[in-house]
Amino acid sequence: MADDMITEGMLDMFIFETEQGLENLENICLESKDVGEFDDDHVNGIFRIMHTIKGASAVMMYQNITTLSHKLEDVFYYIRESHPEEIPHAELLDYIFEVSDFIAGELEKIKEGAESDGNADNLIEQLDKYLKKIQGKGGGDAASAQKAAAPEQTSAPAEKPHFYIAPVASDASRFYTIDITYAKDTDMANIKAYIAVNALKGIAEDILFTPADIISNPDSSNVIMEFGFKIALQTVEEADHIMELVSNAGSGIEHVEINECTSEDFIAFCTEVESPISSAGEVLTAPVEQPTVRVETQKPKSIVLTDEEQEKEAEKDAAPAAKKAPVKKKPPAKKGETQSFISVNIKKMDLLMNLIGELVIAQAVVLQNPDLKVPGLDLTNFQKAAMQLSKITSELQDAIMAMRMMPLKNTFQKMNRIVYDTSKKLGKDIELEVIGEDTEVDKNIIEHISDPLMHMIRNSVDHGIESNEDRQAAGKTEKGKIVLEAKNEGGQVWISVADNGKGLRREEILAKAKANGLLGNRSEKDLSDKEVYNFITLPGFSTKKKVTEYSGRGVGMDVVVKSIQDVGGVLDIESEEGLGSTMTMKIPLTLAIIDGIIFSVSGTNFVAETNGVTEFIRGSKDHLVVEPDGEEYFMIREDCYPLIRLNRFYHLENGKDELEDGIVIILNHEDRKIAVFVDELVGEQEIVVKPMPGYIKQVRGISGCTQLGDGSISLILDSGGLLSY
Amino acid sequence: MRILIAEDDFASRKFMLKFLSKYGECDVTVDGMEAVDAFLMALDADMAYDLVCLDIMMPVLDGYQALKAIRDIEEDRNIPEEERAKIIMTTALNEGANVNKAFDLGCVAYAGKPIDQTKFENVLRKLGMIS
Repeated sequence: MADDMITEGMLDMFIFETEQGLENLENICLESKDVGEFDDDHVNGIFRIMHTIKGASAVMMYQNITTLSHKLEDVFYYIRESHPEEIPHAELLDYIFEVSDFIAGELEKIKEGAESDGNADNLIEQLDKYLKKIQGKGGGDAASAQKAAAPEQTSAPAEKPHFYIAPVASDASRFYTIDITYAKDTDMANIKAYIAVNALKGIAEDILFTPADIISNPDSSNVIMEFGFKIALQTVEEADHIMELVSNAGSGIEHVEINECTSEDFIAFCTEVESPISSAGEVLTAPVEQPTVRVETQKPKSIVLTDEEQEKEAEKDAAPAAKKAPVKKKPPAKKGETQSFISVNIKKMDLLMNLIGELVIAQAVVLQNPDLKVPGLDLTNFQKAAMQLSKITSELQDAIMAMRMMPLKNTFQKMNRIVYDTSKKLGKDIELEVIGEDTEVDKNIIEHISDPLMHMIRNSVDHGIESNEDRQAAGKTEKGKIVLEAKNEGGQVWISVADNGKGLRREEILAKAKANGLLGNRSEKDLSDKEVYNFITLPGFSTKKKVTEYSGRGVGMDVVVKSIQDVGGVLDIESEEGLGSTMTMKIPLTLAIIDGIIFSVSGTNFVAETNGVTEFIRGSKDHLVVEPDGEEYFMIREDCYPLIRLNRFYHLENGKDELEDGIVIILNHEDRKIAVFVDELVGEQEIVVKPMPGYIKQVRGISGCTQLGDGSISLILDSGGLLSY
Repeated sequence: MRILIAEDDFASRKFMLKFLSKYGECDVTVDGMEAVDAFLMALDADMAYDLVCLDIMMPVLDGYQALKAIRDIEEDRNIPEEERAKIIMTTALNEGANVNKAFDLGCVAYAGKPIDQTKFENVLRKLGMIS
């Protein structure tokens, strides 16, 4: 990796690299789980990973990680060099997982700024025993055993030791440039400037200023008056606090400008400041470069972009690709593994996403501009150009979406480990089949689903699949099996966890629901299977009689549902008693830009997601059913939907009252439908979803807002929200 | 043990002096140029420093330049590897690029500020400078 590519802090880099190493380690282990032994590639791979982790942790001075990874490296060194005949594979796997868990645990501590104080002695001892054991079996190859026990002595002198002493844990520091201008008639500006510097010293990790000779050289006062006083500051404090300190330090300050900058800018400033001053009297006057404002430099989350597509492209037109030198240079990606990546700060991606959203809006504003509506205007050429523009913006949208997309592979691979661990603990023999791990979803969604998914898998292992004995008793011959599947389904991604276990028991759930008073006044027969199954997603609901380490406390499914709802998805449960159950998360592929139907109610525009609209009906009084309590229902084709008149619902005056004058829109949400009465339809458009501004408190039934082509604001109707009232 | 501390910030300098005084005789300089001068003087007087702590952001000559200068001087005088001074960078610049640059230039350890005293002592121990 090129040096100049590294912009992250040393610690972040260590954590990132080590985590990747551990991930690879687990993958190798799980791959070999079924084979029952490591092949040479595996052994080399693990050896290399442990060697890297050992080296890195030594530099970072995490002694416990170093010793532990060193020990595991020893074991694999022995295996690699001596090829012992019999290696108890399952035992070795357990050790590797323990090592990996230990290191992961320590990394967690380090991330939180705590001391990495875990004690690995026990584990090291076990590994030692294990090593002795396989050495014993290996036929007493004394020489190689000797070598294996001490590979370090041979390799150590080659590498010069380096140590990195991590700073005492604190918030990541930020860099600022501060410009102070003093009022025209200020006396002794140099002294005033010095007071400001002094005030900042308390919070500064490093501080530099120009002119630098403010105390020794009274003339510097004039320089300050003319060019202002510039400070470069490194601190963990927020800009507000700095502003406060500076403003309170001395009178005569006319203007203060504080900019956050990168450490590179900071260093650039330092060199600029420092060098010219030594040449006496001559003071640096070059204005400080306007630093890029970077808000929140703290631990930037990175997302990884694949340029897989680019490579596909390159493969497609192989001949022209020869000209595309940079693309060609890249090694051809082996299927499904090494892709070349660049890391991009997720903030930048979000910014780009936002800008493209704005672009889509701006485009609508231009193309639907009222100025174009002059009768008799020839717009042929305009329309052509407009079409081209629309095409490009929509391609741009697709491209940014694709960039944010990541395959579910990593998330799914983690599940392997969970099934392995949990099933082992519970003594069940369970196989996990993964389908569609290359399905791509928005990075944001991945973050939200990995916990729920883990929970669902555990549920399946623990509750879903019976113990081996029960399975035999039930006459099931096949192994317990969980199928984890992801697929794209019409603008949504469906991720399902299916098991061939005992399924959900309607009666048991109903009994429990009744006991908890969840049925209300509905009779058992009224409830569909789906409604019954949905009870298990309510807080505190568990039919499991015994609480296990993994699940059964009844906190869980409700959390799962909550996380899925956070990304606008739903959980669908299907089950057949005795045969197994399937839980499917249905999540929209993207959250930011949706197709919408625009309609208006007494001059206010609303938008509903096109997918959520079932039909439009010009209703009449005959369709209306009014309950004695005033609630209205809309009857059509023998179906009855609750009716909401948006004008009354949102207290909008002058809306249409007669059903004949307006239009009824049937919206669906999950399996339920609702009829909404509006004045008129306006049109269909791609809309960019913006959250409601913070100063407006939660409005029921409104999930966000957007700007329409004519510049007006439209509210986005949330059918789920309307239904829950 | 003879120790040279180069640090332009008064508070940090005082801290380093106090912290390291218990391990040996400390000399203090306020910029990179002075540090190189001091290093040269000590070499000439045959009282070479065992440990040099360099801040990176210093006036006149920054820590990298001082580090390079010291290594160049040692190279020039054919001082054998094991007799060369151990150099530890002490700085608030913690980006990987900075750290690697310093390692490439030949420092033995890189201590981020605020300095973790325990770890610093651990390093000295590993280097065999204190027991």
